[in-house]
Amino acid sequence: MPDAILPSDLGTVDPADAWKPWQPALGAWNRKWAAHLYRRAAFGATPAEIDAALSVGIPKTIDKLLAGELDAGDRLDLLTEAGKFYTDPASLRTWWLYAMLESGHPLREKITLFWHNHFATSYAKVRSTKLMYEQNVLIRTHALSLFPKFLLDMSKDTAMLVWLDSNRNVKGAPNENFAREVMELFSLGVGKYTEKDIQEAARALTGWHHDTEVTKFEFNRDLHDTGEKTIFGKTGKFGGPDVINLCCQQEACPKFIVGKLYSFFVSETAPPKGLLDPLAAQFRKSSYNIASIVKTMLSSRLFFSEHAYRKRVKWPVECALGAVRAAVPDRVPLSDVVEPLAKMGQALFAPPNVKGWRTGTDWLNSATLLARNNFAEKVALGEWNANIVRRNDSFRTFARPIASDEPRVEVGAPAPPDAKHDICTTIYATKPKSVGDVVKRLGELLYGDAIAPAQAKKLETYLLTPGPAPGATPAQPKGGLPGFHPKFDKFDPQPLEKGPKQPPPPKKEPPAKPLDPKDVKLDSNEFKARVREAAHAMMCLPEYQLN
Amino acid sequence: MSNRRDFLKGTLGASSLLAVGGVVPEFLASAARAAEQGEAKKDTVLVVIELTGGNDGLNTVVPYGDDEYAKARPTLAFAKKEVLKLDDYHGLHPRMQQMKQLYDQKKLAVIQGVGYPNPDRSHFESMDIWQLADPKRAGASGWLARSIPGMTIKDAGVPGMYLGDDRLPVAMQGADGGVISLADRASFRLQLTGNAGPRKALIQDLNTGDDAKADLAAFVRKRQLQTYTSLQKIEDALREAGSAPDNGGGEFINGRFVRNNPNDLTTLSGKLGLIGRMIQKNLGTRIYYVQLGGFDTHSGQSADHAKLLGDLSSAVGNFFTALHGEHAERVALMTYSEFGRRVKENGSRGTDHGSGSCMFLAGTQVVGGLVGKHPSMTDLTDGDIKYHTDFRRVYATILDNWLGVDSKGVLGDTFEKLPLIDRKKKAPAGGPGPGGGAGPGGGPPVFVPMPVEKP
Repeated sequence: MPDAILPSDLGTVDPADAWKPWQPALGAWNRKWAAHLYRRAAFGATPAEIDAALSVGIPKTIDKLLAGELDAGDRLDLLTEAGKFYTDPASLRTWWLYAMLESGHPLREKITLFWHNHFATSYAKVRSTKLMYEQNVLIRTHALSLFPKFLLDMSKDTAMLVWLDSNRNVKGAPNENFAREVMELFSLGVGKYTEKDIQEAARALTGWHHDTEVTKFEFNRDLHDTGEKTIFGKTGKFGGPDVINLCCQQEACPKFIVGKLYSFFVSETAPPKGLLDPLAAQFRKSSYNIASIVKTMLSSRLFFSEHAYRKRVKWPVECALGAVRAAVPDRVPLSDVVEPLAKMGQALFAPPNVKGWRTGTDWLNSATLLARNNFAEKVALGEWNANIVRRNDSFRTFARPIASDEPRVEVGAPAPPDAKHDICTTIYATKPKSVGDVVKRLGELLYGDAIAPAQAKKLETYLLTPGPAPGATPAQPKGGLPGFHPKFDKFDPQPLEKGPKQPPPPKKEPPAKPLDPKDVKLDSNEFKARVREAAHAMMCLPEYQLN
Repeated sequence: MSNRRDFLKGTLGASSLLAVGGVVPEFLASAARAAEQGEAKKDTVLVVIELTGGNDGLNTVVPYGDDEYAKARPTLAFAKKEVLKLDDYHGLHPRMQQMKQLYDQKKLAVIQGVGYPNPDRSHFESMDIWQLADPKRAGASGWLARSIPGMTIKDAGVPGMYLGDDRLPVAMQGADGGVISLADRASFRLQLTGNAGPRKALIQDLNTGDDAKADLAAFVRKRQLQTYTSLQKIEDALREAGSAPDNGGGEFINGRFVRNNPNDLTTLSGKLGLIGRMIQKNLGTRIYYVQLGGFDTHSGQSADHAKLLGDLSSAVGNFFTALHGEHAERVALMTYSEFGRRVKENGSRGTDHGSGSCMFLAGTQVVGGLVGKHPSMTDLTDGDIKYHTDFRRVYATILDNWLGVDSKGVLGDTFEKLPLIDRKKKAPAGGPGPGGGAGPGGGPPVFVPMPVEKP
């Protein structure tokens, strides 16, 4: 009996129902939901992965995501070994991006990214790629296993010990940094403990140090406070492991972790009261088995519902790798992704502070959104490899700010990119017969979904409209911005107090008209150039920014 | 059905409507502007000027009332009749007329004896200490960068901006996605290779939708259009610089003829002018950072230092003169340098690296006047004055009282604050009011041509 659609008011949904595995009606398990699953549980899907998911069904697809490819273990060994040799931050970041795409176990990498944000540690203070790498390996080992052991090992991780000043925590002069964060950020959430609990936990963690060479954990018995401590109302001669255990036993712990996983995998909209209770109970009962809770989430009716669909803002890593996976036919130089990611606000191994990145709508400000738009252009136009010098981007000095308004030398279609990085290769793989087919295919690849009819119409019109001939004066943008004028020196400056400027009268130029579809050659270079441009525009829309 | 103002503010949003000005009928665009103007108070803005090289604090805020000063500086000391007197002990460098006017208007705080323990006299090390706000130089993110995650940014602007073509200052490093550098124009430009105009129009056209629902998609659409508004505001501000009347003057520098243009963006005055225009366009940026270099005056200090402080003073003065009413009230400007200089002048009519110096904080909401005593001219350490005010107290005050960011979170410790900010302060009568018609002191704005440093 296939499931009915969940009511639109999540507050009225019985939590137990929400987390039952989804039994789709015939045909309901389609490309849209497969793409949704792969965007959340991985870094997007290739068209072939979607086909495979549709043919084997949901349970097998999720099992495969949880287990990885058959050779994922071998690949992991190789990757881990190789990672030791990436000894500067940029190449370590490239290494991890490579693991995300090539490890054969994208869900493990995805949740490793989640935990990297949860146990946010930054190279900015740790100052050692070796320690950051080791922490990354440790996170990956535990990412889908049991949380208490994970938390214990993280508390002994060298990078973490440096990050939270553990060596300054000594008998008689406790430093509360780690004790506070282990409760507030790593296990319980703010307000689920008293200041006294933190002070006592800090005492229990005294002597929990790294060695003088800063290579490994070392328990300094001499600097450990062996006295009695009272934490969460329990008294004993507690040490570090006791603090971890006591935190995990708190009722707040499974709720806190499940809540964070929910906002990462399901929705950034705060859940109604009680919705997560069954998950918290399951998490506790399973000895905090992370894989099992992730499986429940990803299989659920709620996950495959409008309550989850596009209810998250893509993290920059998801934004960058999603289009690459879905649309670029071959491997791209991932070192090209590192700098754009920083501009989008997510330099891996360098979260802004111990709270991690500010996610959700906080990802998007003018600078980060522009970085997303510009990265989208790189993907759409296939401009890979940092060495390519863009023809219209000659060096502009600070003293010549008006240069961007000068007529561009190059206005025609740029040369097509190398076929292996050309998204047209992927788009044309299904042999589109019409402009409509091309737009449909773009929607599948970039949104994992059909494009809204009104938008599809606009995209078709764009694709049918010839661009300016090479060498011609650039046309005034139809929806030009106020004040845009190519001839700056004739611009009439207005006093500031009059507020934003009005556009000067647009130059009279006959607007290009869309051609008749039968006059358009889908295979022509000119048309393909417009297809790439349309792909860029599509990646500047909420349908792409949301996950 | 909500009224039109609510519609404009709540659904599409005023600034996003402005973003598509070209296709919006004028009556709608002006209604949107009106709605935008009706918005609650705008965010405060901090402008930081780094005086690179180690500014000679003693010849900036001159202790002319102390005989030891003249004794220590036989060729460099200013006489009583030369300085711009603040009181019967302190005077500003003679070239700082405009900042003196700000001082007289109670808009300039002169913070004396600022430093940190065990002063480092290396440019690099000391600059790092100031910019990391950490005498131990641990960590690698700057104090301004660290303040960004805790900051509210209305209008989705870019939180921090560095104007200059050097690498990003340490103070601004580590705020990924939160800081742009405006020398690197490509970093804040929409890339549209090829068919640019129509594609931009397509993106804007596609970014319209059912925004009546206050859902995530509507939010993203609005942000997308706001981004283009921000780009446009910066373009406009830059273009206004390019279109300013050229005074036709010029000079030979290193054998090349260089035009003097008060809006040239290689000068401090040009940069501050651009910042002023961006502020008045409600760009939404909260921290602007600029540098003025050349303060490492080991020899022949007199002329160089006079020119630098003259540039600084007129640039700062003109900046505040050009800011109108409500915008002036939301701007504070801070100067600092990595260290001061040795009390005794050296044998080359210059001064060597020292410690402890002064800082300036200017703005209509700044509590004007001298803050703290001038450090003693006789109680010296290694020939340097002793600091008495930790620079992080100034930072903490600015963070908590001006930017509204928890200073403990940024500085890692609690610092006693200084009485530098008064958010309820009214502009004193006689000063430049809204419209900025009257210059400092009621006279016409002082125009000081800006020599160009280097092409």
